[in-house]
Amino acid sequence: MKIDRRLLLNFDWTLFALVLVISGIGLMNIFSTGYSLSGLRQTPLYLKQLQWIAMGLAIMVIAFSVDYRLIHRYAYVLYGVAVVLLVVVALYGYATRGSQRWIALGGFMLQPSELMKLALILALARYFDRHRSLQGYGLRELVTPLILVLVPFLLILRQPDLGTGLILLIIFLAMVVFSGVRWRSVLWFGAGGIALIPLAWFFLHDYQQERILTFFNPERDPLGSGYHIIQSMIAIGSGGLFGKGFLKGTQTQLKFLPEQQTDFVFSVFAEEWGLAGGLVLLILFLFLILWGLKISQRARDLSGTLIAFGITVMIFSEVFINIGMVTGILPVVGIPLPFFSYGGSSMVVLLTGIGLMLNISMRRFILHS
Amino acid sequence: MSMNSNPLNSHEPGEFRQRFQTLFVVVFIALSILFVRMWYLQVIKGEELRQRSENNSVRMRKLPALRGLILDTNGMALVDNQTSFDLVFIPDRSRDIRETIDKFAALCRKRSLAFAPDVPPKGRQRTFQPVRLERNVAWEKLALAETHALELPGLITEVSPVRQYLAGEVMAHVIGYIGEIGPEELERNPAAYAMGDMVGKFGIEKYLDPYLRGTNGFEQVEVNAVGKGVRSLGRIDPVSGYNVVLNIDSYLQKTAWDAMAGRTGAVVVMDPRDGAVLAMLSTPSFDPNLFTGKVTLADWRKLADNRLRPMENRAASGQYPPGSTYKPVVAAAALEQKLITPETIVYCNGSFVMGNRTFRCWQKKGHGRVNLHRALVESCDVFFYEVGRRVGVDTLARYARELGLGAPTGVDLPREKAGLIPTREWKLKRFRQPWHPGETISIAIGQGYDLVTPIQLLNAYAALANGGTVWQPRLVKRIETQDGKPVKRFPPVRRSVASISAETLKQINRGLWGVVNEPRGTGYVLRRREADVSGKTGTSQVVGLPQDEKARRLKQAVAQGDHALFVCFAPDKAPEIAIAVIVEHGGHGGSAAAPVARRIIDAYFARKNAPPAPPRPVVATAVPAGTAAGSRPGTAPTPTATRPVVSPTDRPVAPRGANAHPEPNP
Repeated sequence: MKIDRRLLLNFDWTLFALVLVISGIGLMNIFSTGYSLSGLRQTPLYLKQLQWIAMGLAIMVIAFSVDYRLIHRYAYVLYGVAVVLLVVVALYGYATRGSQRWIALGGFMLQPSELMKLALILALARYFDRHRSLQGYGLRELVTPLILVLVPFLLILRQPDLGTGLILLIIFLAMVVFSGVRWRSVLWFGAGGIALIPLAWFFLHDYQQERILTFFNPERDPLGSGYHIIQSMIAIGSGGLFGKGFLKGTQTQLKFLPEQQTDFVFSVFAEEWGLAGGLVLLILFLFLILWGLKISQRARDLSGTLIAFGITVMIFSEVFINIGMVTGILPVVGIPLPFFSYGGSSMVVLLTGIGLMLNISMRRFILHS
Repeated sequence: MSMNSNPLNSHEPGEFRQRFQTLFVVVFIALSILFVRMWYLQVIKGEELRQRSENNSVRMRKLPALRGLILDTNGMALVDNQTSFDLVFIPDRSRDIRETIDKFAALCRKRSLAFAPDVPPKGRQRTFQPVRLERNVAWEKLALAETHALELPGLITEVSPVRQYLAGEVMAHVIGYIGEIGPEELERNPAAYAMGDMVGKFGIEKYLDPYLRGTNGFEQVEVNAVGKGVRSLGRIDPVSGYNVVLNIDSYLQKTAWDAMAGRTGAVVVMDPRDGAVLAMLSTPSFDPNLFTGKVTLADWRKLADNRLRPMENRAASGQYPPGSTYKPVVAAAALEQKLITPETIVYCNGSFVMGNRTFRCWQKKGHGRVNLHRALVESCDVFFYEVGRRVGVDTLARYARELGLGAPTGVDLPREKAGLIPTREWKLKRFRQPWHPGETISIAIGQGYDLVTPIQLLNAYAALANGGTVWQPRLVKRIETQDGKPVKRFPPVRRSVASISAETLKQINRGLWGVVNEPRGTGYVLRRREADVSGKTGTSQVVGLPQDEKARRLKQAVAQGDHALFVCFAPDKAPEIAIAVIVEHGGHGGSAAAPVARRIIDAYFARKNAPPAPPRPVVATAVPAGTAAGSRPGTAPTPTATRPVVSPTDRPVAPRGANAHPEPNP
């Protein structure tokens, strides 16, 4: 498919720049986490992350070159592939730290649950685009979307990966509500959800239960499950207004802060750059999310609106939950900070999602053929 | 078809537009919540959390001061400081000491190394005080701890100076040893000491601990999550302790040690002119190097349960009936009180009857007509029974005390015993019984209640030798800085001058000369060609001691025979060396104890009369300290531990080792 020159004129530089800036800061931050370990690792993490960004950008080009309507048409196929990959993970996946999330794919470790988020957004967009309802969806119409989300949700929860599962649920609920539901359905969902809470509790792994209990009282077990969050709050708080300076965060450099390249990457940033740095980052994310909503709002058609909306919700919820958990207002559920946490699959999937948003954004003026 | 229209598009007014507006607000509020939370953590709680991050990462590390050395009178080092690699646990709220220890113990077991440290019980453990788990750790174990550092949070290796007692058993009782401070000592003096400090526990190490120990330095170190030091933020250098120079002469000490080989007892050698203690020995001894590491319970048991009590310094803490060595005191009292003259004759038929009791002379067939001189030379008991009876218990006690008996001599050692010189009043107080005249007879020959320590006895004889001055025995000559500048001198201290006339002393000393140099003298074995030694033998019967406990213990002693004593000084004209020897259960003083003294005297004069030998010139004592330092064989001014530390476990330990020590002396 040839790209129309007019499309390039409409390229959304703002979105692209925002993502690059956030990823750049993230990269610098990852450099800091690996700083005191230099010499011990094979390839420094920030270089690896740079490779992932490059790879993500390449896929992003594909994702905005191909008309999103074509991708939209194959949404269910993509969804199917993602589910199959999740099953493969469950059967043959690699486990690290007790959870089986990865499969090897041509030398890369792929985390299909990340891919699943995008696939679910596309599938749900496809469904809601196909089945429109001006007076809101009833329960019967929501059975299919519910199945669409529950199959991967349960597979991911089994890994176990509570965080990603949670994001799937949030995407689902947000897209359902956004598309319009009848009040009765909302009530049913609410009732069902509440009824499922105790059941879900037993379904959770011990360590997940532990984490939730710890959330309510971190000092309950300061050397065990509470350690992460206490050290994280110390890191953030000790950063103060302007931080300890780049590469000077003691919590980070002396490794008191665990998981600092992944889930607790924001704490590193907050320790070294303080409230000022944190505010800048929050504003960047705010812009990104509002811009995403704007793209969704201005999309040429409903499928574009839904896809852009889904991706924006995904980014927003991850930002909110991640920062919420490292600052101690939400339980530690293990969700990476978009564009910031180290992780190949997450970065590639996010950049692919941004590619789709660019796609939708620049095709908003194209008239239908 | 329907794909072409977008019901949510903003161009179409209504519900959908509203949804977007709601969304904008939701996102804004959500991110604002995050911002407020960050504000709370970073601004409101910022200071508190900063403190906690510093507690996390900044640790005060003690830089142990290098302990001062202990040198003999010629400047020869008697102790040395070596380097010890220790395993230390750095406590932290997020770590469990037991878990780390168990993990490491498991690792050790796999390589069949022993690791079983005593861990302070939970309550007594101070949260932020490092716990020294093991000292002088074998390098295999150190390497193990280093390689598994990440799995052993809080366990670090540290370098500390460790005492090495070069003189070993020979000087154990004088020098003593150091050990980790106990909780009681810590509570008594919390300002001066910290947990984990090494303090003197015994001997000079204890007595002069404030001088020897120096002042610990501190270093603020940034540590990482596993307790490894990363960089130094600031330090206060430790100040090395002062060196202590003793009056002890290693040469005489060693001679005494060799002479006492296999015997139980004590030897003290002193300069009667000023009270300098030239040698002090108690046998059996112990190896103070046992205490430098963590002393094992088995080793401790072996020492503590030994019936021969090797941990006791008999020279200052052993109390013995003086036996016949007490007779010169009785003679002095009688002469001074004019109760006898040198010509007074007592007839000895081998026994003395007092009331309904008969007291025997050691010479069963009797000495016949005996005057003071013969009585001293042949140690006639009956003569002194009679003289003692005339003098009486209280007057005897007065003269004994004038010569320093029955009271601590003030020697610079902890735990000196007082001995006992009885009086009527004492007995009334102690036993609520009047004094029996018969008891005076016993004490007149140094038995009964009489108890003296070897150093007291020697001090009394030194007074007889020097014209009546009772000096305070001094082990320590001076305290000096590491580079030899004097800090404190210990000049002779005249405790008292006995009110005994020169004429009386002359009479007594003539007798003492006869003991050694007249054929019938009880110490004739000791005579030298120069005929320059004066002395007195003694045999102390070890029965009838007041304390039940002691009596029980000494019952065994009786079975093994009496204690042999010998006290002497030389040369007789102008005494410069005085010696007291006691051999427990050695039998007769002349045969068991005198030969020991003989060897010391021979050694003393052999060296004195020999042409000045290069290795250890006695001159060194007289010249200024700075010059003396040059004659020290490399050991004294530059302790070993200040040399660059060569770590067996390579990189991670060495820099810390360097930090743990002050700069080498200029």
